[in-house]
Amino acid sequence: MTNREAEQRLRDEAKSLLESAKVDYIVGFADGSLKFHTTPLITRNKDDVDHLVINPFMASNLAKFLTELEGRVGIVAKGCDSRSIVSLVQDNKVSREKVVIVGIPCRGMINLSKIEQLAGKESDEIDDITRQGDKVVVKLDGSEKEIPVKEVLFDHCLACELPTPKEYDLLIDEPIPATPDEEASQAKINKLEELSHHERWRFWQNEFSRCIRCYACRNVCPACYCQRCFVEEAEPQWILSIPKWQDNLIFQIIRNIHLAGRCTDCGECERACPVNIPLRSLSKEMYDLVGELFRFKSGMEIDAAPLLTHYELEEAEDFFR
Amino acid sequence: MNQKISKKDISKLLDELGKEFKVFSPSRESGVTTFAEWDGRDSSFLEWYRNTVISPKAQLQPLYEKMFSFHKDKEGYHLELPPPTDKKLIFGIRPCDAKALTIIDKTFQDTYQDPYYLDKRKNTLLVGLGCTNPYDSCFCTSLGLSPTQSSDVDLMLTDIGDEFLIEAVTDRGIKLIKKTSYLKEATKTDEAKAEEARRQASSKVTRRLDTEDLAKRLLSSFDDQDFWEKVSNKCISCGICTLLCPTCYCFDISDELVKKEGSRFRSGDSCAFPVYTKMPMENPRLEKWRRVRQKVCHKYEFYPMSFEVIACSGCGRCIRLCPVNWDITQILASLPVKVKA
Repeated sequence: MTNREAEQRLRDEAKSLLESAKVDYIVGFADGSLKFHTTPLITRNKDDVDHLVINPFMASNLAKFLTELEGRVGIVAKGCDSRSIVSLVQDNKVSREKVVIVGIPCRGMINLSKIEQLAGKESDEIDDITRQGDKVVVKLDGSEKEIPVKEVLFDHCLACELPTPKEYDLLIDEPIPATPDEEASQAKINKLEELSHHERWRFWQNEFSRCIRCYACRNVCPACYCQRCFVEEAEPQWILSIPKWQDNLIFQIIRNIHLAGRCTDCGECERACPVNIPLRSLSKEMYDLVGELFRFKSGMEIDAAPLLTHYELEEAEDFFR
Repeated sequence: MNQKISKKDISKLLDELGKEFKVFSPSRESGVTTFAEWDGRDSSFLEWYRNTVISPKAQLQPLYEKMFSFHKDKEGYHLELPPPTDKKLIFGIRPCDAKALTIIDKTFQDTYQDPYYLDKRKNTLLVGLGCTNPYDSCFCTSLGLSPTQSSDVDLMLTDIGDEFLIEAVTDRGIKLIKKTSYLKEATKTDEAKAEEARRQASSKVTRRLDTEDLAKRLLSSFDDQDFWEKVSNKCISCGICTLLCPTCYCFDISDELVKKEGSRFRSGDSCAFPVYTKMPMENPRLEKWRRVRQKVCHKYEFYPMSFEVIACSGCGRCIRLCPVNWDITQILASLPVKVKA
């Protein structure tokens, strides 16, 4: 199926979901107002679905919006989005019956920052970016440059274990098999691990000095659904509301601990950060640790019990018996 | 007569200014652009600088600052005020960001005089640098600004190839020129080049915002809950657009206490956060659409009502830094009340 055909099918399916009143809302991606950007499209209006698109710039994790919308929702989901949806269902934050998952097989999303770095220009100065198989063609100042796609995908996309949703109601195109390249995905993290403890501490001190406490990392995260976040508690005050690097770091560490077993490595926290703090370098460590200790990968199996809120009588710790 | 300076001499100029002022210039750290103290070495910003993620507002209203320290002993409480403000010079501020400071001046010297902001403001010189490569998210021209001219700076520089044309805008600017080396008198050819550069730059700002009767249209749309719900549904309520906006100035105050001593700080706050309006019994802006409406109306309706100026200079940061590409110009263009009555 060509991309255009897939897009048309998506629009037709979305329209019919709204027309048949199977859903109250459609949540998907539309072209953004900036070049090479998409923007979430959240609508009840069947005429709006003609704006739905499928392209390599659908970076947002739309599962975020499921906990906000009332009624039945038809949601466009890449593999990673579907994992977040499954995790939300397991946590009883979203009812599976109220969600129609419109699955989109995904070959990875293009990280504009990587393109900008390679091109030496900012995205609005670039004429065109197109994906052609394993290459990305960047048009700039009248000339074309081919870049291997692995050099410009998001790090978390390189490690993707689920390009095609496993849990879905409709699948828009043929499934795509997983071809994770863990090594490429870990490159940035591996460099950090080579540092001494002292150097690494200095690194994070420097990174978190830039944090402006906008909470975009938390607010784009589908797993961060708490109505009251600990950072906003005044009694007791866990951390200061002032963006001092120590408090910024503690905020992120506690956030990571809270997300153990729920983070699906969708990479949204890092993408949203306006000051380039490599947040995935923290969250991926926790994700891997959860995998190692519990052999658990969040959002992969709809029938799995949520990791840290589920107990078995025969568990070693007896404090809850 | 206007002056000019060779681009090659900019480093020397900044070194010289650094003897009298704490000089801040565009800088890039870990890919994030900001204004940092001139380090005497890296003038590469002349090549890459378009505008910074962190606006120069941060030099006047930092993300957080200590208001005073306090300690308690047998005699009671003692307060210690922060040291006096340094003389600063911001080199390379864009006209939009300079205008933004003029806009927030109104708030900080309205019914009360804010000493923290005003002390820094009085002691800071602004050297503007015309914008020759605006972003596709920029819309300064819709707010009556030019990307290359400004009445909100002390000196204004325009790129004319290998040199910058320098205009003195204020008396402070004239004084600064008099004691600065490396300048030459500009020729008629230089003036003509500057004029051409200005013309080209303005035509590169393509995003439009129709500000005609905007406050009235917002007022008439205020109660249209359906509209506000629709335009706010993809907002994630983070603080990027407000905290990084050069005309947003809200702050929160908090104390850091350790035993009998501590400090009082103020730090940026955002009306996008539900806790911004949290009261003991209720929250008047608990729903997202009310917060989005507040942000939009404050900038384009309430601020002009109070101070006769829109609280936006079209720098476009809120558009290009938004994780979901929420676009204020699109929202305002889609107001349900289109034309004046």
